[in-house]
Amino acid sequence: MTDDTTPMTDGGTDDEARTDGGPPATVPPDDETPTWSERKEHSQGLAQLTYQYFERSRREDEDLRTESTYVERDVLGFPTWPHETIRNLAITSFFIGIMLLVASIMPGHFGDPANPGSTPAIILPDWYLYWSFGLLKLDPINPDLAVLGGNIIMSNELMGLVAHGAIFGVITLVPFLNKGNARRPVEEPGWAALGVTGVILAITLAALAIQNFFPVQLELLFSLTFMLPVAGGVVTYAVLKTMREGYMYDLNRRYFMLRPPK
Amino acid sequence: MSLKKQDDMDHNAWLKSQDLTAIETAFLTTLIWLDKRLRIVDYLELLETMYYRANLQMPKSHTEQYDLDNKFWYWYPLYSLGSLSIIAYLLAAVSGALLGFYYAPSTAGAVAQGDPTAAYDSMVMIMQDVQFGFMLRSIHRWSAQFMVAAVFLHMLRVYFTGAYKEPREVNWILGVVLIALTLLFGFSGYVLPWKQLSFWAAQIGVELALATPIVGEWAAQLLFGGFTLGQATLVRMYILHVFVLPFVVTALIAVHVGIVWVQGIAEPH
Repeated sequence: MTDDTTPMTDGGTDDEARTDGGPPATVPPDDETPTWSERKEHSQGLAQLTYQYFERSRREDEDLRTESTYVERDVLGFPTWPHETIRNLAITSFFIGIMLLVASIMPGHFGDPANPGSTPAIILPDWYLYWSFGLLKLDPINPDLAVLGGNIIMSNELMGLVAHGAIFGVITLVPFLNKGNARRPVEEPGWAALGVTGVILAITLAALAIQNFFPVQLELLFSLTFMLPVAGGVVTYAVLKTMREGYMYDLNRRYFMLRPPK
Repeated sequence: MSLKKQDDMDHNAWLKSQDLTAIETAFLTTLIWLDKRLRIVDYLELLETMYYRANLQMPKSHTEQYDLDNKFWYWYPLYSLGSLSIIAYLLAAVSGALLGFYYAPSTAGAVAQGDPTAAYDSMVMIMQDVQFGFMLRSIHRWSAQFMVAAVFLHMLRVYFTGAYKEPREVNWILGVVLIALTLLFGFSGYVLPWKQLSFWAAQIGVELALATPIVGEWAAQLLFGGFTLGQATLVRMYILHVFVLPFVVTALIAVHVGIVWVQGIAEPH
């Protein structure tokens, strides 16, 4: 395996003086990383499958890229430095400035120390939990069963919890229920109406939570809590349905002008 | 594999053949000297590749490609709500860390019911004695309010522009989790001053936990440290507020933003 032309570690080529056993039997290629197919051949089992998949997905990417009419370009469109950085700094300082301003002109109220012995007349969380607190005041619609002699199945607190679960569950499921490419409210008046219903419901539930502050009868407030969201949803649906035709006409015209049908 | 000394890349000769200023010569000499020993060129190449991948080949955005800017400019401020919640979160983190130097999560010190506790007293101390303390608490409180408001509005923006649709379902769910955690953040912070409203808000929390079937009592003990409120409740809320939630929420925000980075921003079309 030794020859006179193969140099040794000290740079010499004298075969007699060789003490290092010569070059290794298998010589890895100098500066080539193995290709995916080579790695695939040298591996087995799961690793081989992985490499096979990589090869396939790379080929797929390449095919898609060849077929695509997507416009790519060397951007230099809106440079990170300095334009984007300055814009971000401006927005960030603006927001922080607003927060500091509000904090300095409206410091928080600080009440009496906790007293487990005396329940205050008004118990309230922070404003962002009003809707949640309102859900705990749904006693009048807690269903009672005639077979149980008019007893309720679950406690009022438990029903509040179940309502929370239902709301979070519905919100979580939204992307699995509403599919397709539509992005604008006008394209899907129903979903936009559902969203508006939800927003108004959150507001009316908050109003229900701070019911003591409203000079209306509790029954009326309770009815409004559920009527207003529905009314809001219906109005939204009607408005968007009306806007839709003209809006979609413009949109389609613009789209087909840019990408005429083949 | 040749170990023979190779001189075909004679950098010094190349250097001499150039017409360089003193600064350029010094720079290149240093670079070559370092590179011969440390092969920094490899790392520079890596950096360069990463830079080009990150910055230079960017597809046109949807609105650019179809020239929709004239129609949609009024959506764009709504796209900064996510940033606003992160900025508010950072501001709350900084002011909260400073508040943590002075706050004591303890109910000690109350002789009779309704007396100020150590926690309450430390809040009073922050607001009355600590230099800039009143402002500090105000900043912490308001940045928290801003964060919650921004998070809610951010969710509405995502909903009404249909940005949650395929392939972004996972990020929507992550966002729902983040909203729940933000509310928990707010709730646990609300309890800490141990004033009347804090105490009775926590009381409602315990009652809710106890009303839950099966896991209720376990949850009450885990979150509130028992069925009646006291020292254990305050410490648990404190640890939740300053240790558990910051790590969890920060990590989830990082994942949330990372997914947005990878998937791109969904624009209306």
